[in-house]
Amino acid sequence: MAVEMTMPILVVDDYKTMIRIIRNLLKQIGFENVDEAADGQEAYAKMQENKYGLVISDWNMEPMTGYELLQKVRADESMKATPFIMVTAESKTENVVAAKRAGVNNYIVKPFNAGTLKAKMAAVLGDF
Amino acid sequence: MPAANVAAQVRTSLASLKASDLQDAQIMEVLKLAHQLTDTMKLFFSSLDQSICQEFNYIADYISRTRDEISALRPNDIKSERIPSAGVELEAVVGDTEKATETIMSEAEAVLCEEAQDYDEYRANVEARMMTIIEACSFQDLAGQRVSKVVNSLRHVESRVARFAEVMGVRDADGFESEAEKAERERAERNLLNGPALGGPETSQDDIDAMFAEAGGAPDLDQSSIDNLFD
Repeated sequence: MAVEMTMPILVVDDYKTMIRIIRNLLKQIGFENVDEAADGQEAYAKMQENKYGLVISDWNMEPMTGYELLQKVRADESMKATPFIMVTAESKTENVVAAKRAGVNNYIVKPFNAGTLKAKMAAVLGDF
Repeated sequence: MPAANVAAQVRTSLASLKASDLQDAQIMEVLKLAHQLTDTMKLFFSSLDQSICQEFNYIADYISRTRDEISALRPNDIKSERIPSAGVELEAVVGDTEKATETIMSEAEAVLCEEAQDYDEYRANVEARMMTIIEACSFQDLAGQRVSKVVNSLRHVESRVARFAEVMGVRDADGFESEAEKAERERAERNLLNGPALGGPETSQDDIDAMFAEAGGAPDLDQSSIDNLFD
């Protein structure tokens, strides 16, 4: 199935700069319909309002972490199928294993580049 | 009442009993025993007084030494100067890096959106923005200097605390944790908040990719999606 380039993507990070970096990278890749949230709670509220084609989330945020957001999303019938990529500085094996167990679709460790983001998005969504 | 006074009082009472004209042999015997007892007690109390006095002297010395050591620790300097100034420096680092990032990103975004049609104009615009980016990178020098100051302050505190612990023979107490610290630690443990590793990621992107390429999947994810993703 072809990837819908206009699909809304939710970027979740407590650092505005990181959101801006990801926005720019997404724009370069061809995705311009990007929404943002500063933590898991805000993201979950937005996901209840809107349907997103992809969530790209940081891990370490207050008050709700990206890991908790992932668990909530996967436990919620209305959004459990939403593709979810973790983009984080957490690089312990236990983090990757826990995220995978919780149902993450892919995992990018910071710092990363546009090539990695594109490759992981393609692995999750299909080639575009 | 001090032990010596008690002994003296008992002795006086005994003397006055003796002075009264008592004839009963048994009473005299009791008085004799009481005398012996008083003498023994007197010795006991005086030795007790001495050892208590020594204990108090030792405690007083210890308190005085502790006070001197705490004073050498310069806690007021640490509390009112070193820690707050380290905090201010770190806040400045955060502010400087934020400002520099803002400048660099804005210029880079402007370059990406540069619409000049003429080559010379395009080149001049891009070069001007590149120069601004290079200038903005000077934050690294300032941030480095500020962080060095903070590191020095931490070393200062570390050396004083280490000396204090060594001189006073302090051992770490268990369970010294406030409610807020406990809640924060538990949250970090529950959510696996380890933070960035020093010297690059602990698990490389390649290793992570390999873990995702392995068979098996996430229980909460819809199986067909997993099959597509983990081929």
